[in-house]
Amino acid sequence: MSSWLDYTINGLIVGNVYALVAVGLALIFGVSRLINFAQGSIYLVGAYIGWVAVVQLHTPLPLTIIFVAAVAALVGLIIERFGLRPLQNSVRIAPLLATIGISFVLDQLVMLTFSPNPRALPSQLPDVRFQVGGGTIGPLDLLIAGVGISSALLLFVFLRYTKLGWAVRAASQDRDAAMQMGVDVNRVNQTVFGIAAALGGVSGLLVGMYYNQIDTAMSLQATLKGVVAEVVGGAGNVPGAVVGSLLLGLVESYGVAVFGTSYRNLFAFLLLVVVLVLRPNGLFASARQAPPEPLTGTFIAPSRPVRIPRWGLAVAVALFGILPLLPVSFYVLQTLINAWLLGMLALSLTLVAGTIGQVSLGHAALLAIGAYTSALLSLTLSVPVGLAIIAGGLMSAALGTLLISPSFRLRGHYVSIATLAIGEIVSLVILNWESVTRGPIGISGIPPLSLFGYDLISPASVYWFAFAVMVVLALLQARLLGSHLGRSFRAIRDDDIAARAYGISLNRYKSLAFIFGGFAAGVSGGIAAHLYSYINHETFNTQQSILALTVVILGGLGNVVGAIVGAVALVGLPEIFRIAAEYRILIYGIVLLLLVRFRPQGLLGTI
Amino acid sequence: MTTSAPEPLLALSDVNTFYGQAQVHFDLSITVGRGHIVCLLGGNASGKSTTMKIILGLVKPRSGEVTFDGASLIGLTTPQIVRRGIASVPEARRLFADMSVRENILMGAFVRNDRDAVAQDLDRMLTLFPKLGQRLSQRAGSLSGGEQQMVAMARALMSRPSLIVMDEPTMGLSPLYVDRVLELIRTINQEGVSVFMVEQNASLALEIAHEAYVLQTGKIVLSGPARALKDDPRVRDAYLGGAEAA
Repeated sequence: MSSWLDYTINGLIVGNVYALVAVGLALIFGVSRLINFAQGSIYLVGAYIGWVAVVQLHTPLPLTIIFVAAVAALVGLIIERFGLRPLQNSVRIAPLLATIGISFVLDQLVMLTFSPNPRALPSQLPDVRFQVGGGTIGPLDLLIAGVGISSALLLFVFLRYTKLGWAVRAASQDRDAAMQMGVDVNRVNQTVFGIAAALGGVSGLLVGMYYNQIDTAMSLQATLKGVVAEVVGGAGNVPGAVVGSLLLGLVESYGVAVFGTSYRNLFAFLLLVVVLVLRPNGLFASARQAPPEPLTGTFIAPSRPVRIPRWGLAVAVALFGILPLLPVSFYVLQTLINAWLLGMLALSLTLVAGTIGQVSLGHAALLAIGAYTSALLSLTLSVPVGLAIIAGGLMSAALGTLLISPSFRLRGHYVSIATLAIGEIVSLVILNWESVTRGPIGISGIPPLSLFGYDLISPASVYWFAFAVMVVLALLQARLLGSHLGRSFRAIRDDDIAARAYGISLNRYKSLAFIFGGFAAGVSGGIAAHLYSYINHETFNTQQSILALTVVILGGLGNVVGAIVGAVALVGLPEIFRIAAEYRILIYGIVLLLLVRFRPQGLLGTI
Repeated sequence: MTTSAPEPLLALSDVNTFYGQAQVHFDLSITVGRGHIVCLLGGNASGKSTTMKIILGLVKPRSGEVTFDGASLIGLTTPQIVRRGIASVPEARRLFADMSVRENILMGAFVRNDRDAVAQDLDRMLTLFPKLGQRLSQRAGSLSGGEQQMVAMARALMSRPSLIVMDEPTMGLSPLYVDRVLELIRTINQEGVSVFMVEQNASLALEIAHEAYVLQTGKIVLSGPARALKDDPRVRDAYLGGAEAA
């Protein structure tokens, strides 16, 4: 049994690592008001570059660190120059989505280059431990602390005493005024991305050495932890990010000490949600500060949607309806079943993200809630599958809305962070609540789909079932959006303050959107559970949330038909062209980047 | 004061500006003579602030020409324009709130590399704005509106500009500070800096200006020597309604 001092040391060391990521995020947020979701990918790149240096080039430690910092900085500069600078004058959601797309591309490139299997990253320091009080400390701990502290000092000196540092501070406080002093904001952005990437890369290297192992799943975790630390410290606040990171490290370490390793992330995300709800500007924000994201301009690209005549839609529904009667292969039906399931999720997300403007990054959690509810009800209580799926939808609607409701007062990027965290929390609760969810083992032997006592086994019957449910949900949603409710939703999206001034209760309408959206997503998850017959806590992950978001943007945010078209396009096309699975995520990332750059309103336009 | 028209330092000619579909400026032409104080008067939504943004390169006109010191400013970035010798006192001051007063003033010298001369100029600012001396290490955001205006003016002077553009320098200030600010603008001008200012408070602005233009929904409806405009009844008619609503 390790001592409390050990847990404290461990917490501070891990906190130092988080700080290297979070400080970069804070610098970037300060200057560009952007949460850089690609930060974790740079950390991943840093870890693998470090592996190349240590294992293949046999560089000595100081050279390894310099090499990793340099390559990571270069990646950061490329991201800024080619990924983000072209988006400077576009809607504010664009750069956020671009960083998500970039992170998909970078992660997949690393995975394709180095294979997804974990690799050992040997520490280049002697493996000895020194006794300190009741605990022990090793040379690697000291190195991490040293790198963390010296980076913070260097950054402090840079920001306080150099001309470029002053430019960074000025630009982060008032970008236009800084330009009027002659500050070249592009150069500031470049500097900030370079520094953030160098710190992030070194952080990846150190973590790899600390755990003696690296794998491609590190990326998302690092982004999440960095974002948590940054928001806890106050978005854009550099010293706050350091303190937030150390706090996060300690909370996790003590949490692990008391409850066990699988609770580590749960504590991180709970800390985030508590801070977002109670002090959305971070622990150190002064009360005078404006509420988060008081920025002007629309978050979502306005456009004139493509109008599809009713008879056109009817013909399309009829054609897809009779498809199983035609001589099509099992494979095509299978693909389209997946598309319909994703379509339901996209309907839900296009309502929440598009119509009412709450860009959710945790939508897969709604699938998970629906899937687990339906699976457990039918398996343990022998509830008929049809009813169980409906119950799953209702549970998703109720629980999802309840979970998200504390963050209803957040806006813009903060909604995305909060939903991301809630998504992770749901998955971690499923992992840890073994008595109900069976924990990491997952649920197997889920009964197949059935309706009124008849099992739906044949692909055609499953196809019809999924298609019919999706069409009904789409019709309901279209009806909803045509009513005054739809107008109120859009009013909240376009200007929540004005909407409130007209007497629209934000909480009530956001709840309604999440209830409706939660039901559609829960039903989709429920059907999926009975279709797959096995689910676990990783079946519905963040990657799926982001895939759904890509679908929705591809179709046009808020656009009901667009959501379904997007789902067919993004699931169907890779299947038809038989693109290997490992390239798909890469393609999703590239699609997202191209869309954001060239057609932010999507194929059919936002509504 | 004015005997003959000085050579033009800044000239906007036939500028047309749009925000999306909406046209903001209609063939706007304004000249600022070297050594002059020129005032642009106008009510709300007349296009005054956009005129400042055009000069500073923050907004690009769809057509027309902007020249400064004989060279075109069209296509230059804001930092490049600042380096040509135009400094600005933005609307509502726009100080760097979390930086100290000293840092704010020195940010004005961002485009300069002559450290010693910059230090001398900082001292000069403290004689021009004696109140700021005790406030140097304070957060700029903690100053009063009038003090912030002093910092913004000192910051603009630090780049040793030949032209300062000011967006509503007296807005939101107490009457005491309004007089002080106008006095300072005159002092700055007497030291050889040309001034182009946007104002809603016509009677005060016309007291110190050499020339004035009246802008109404994007068109110049009146222009001429300030003394002549001060007595012109059309000046009141042209925009004072808007000013009182503000």
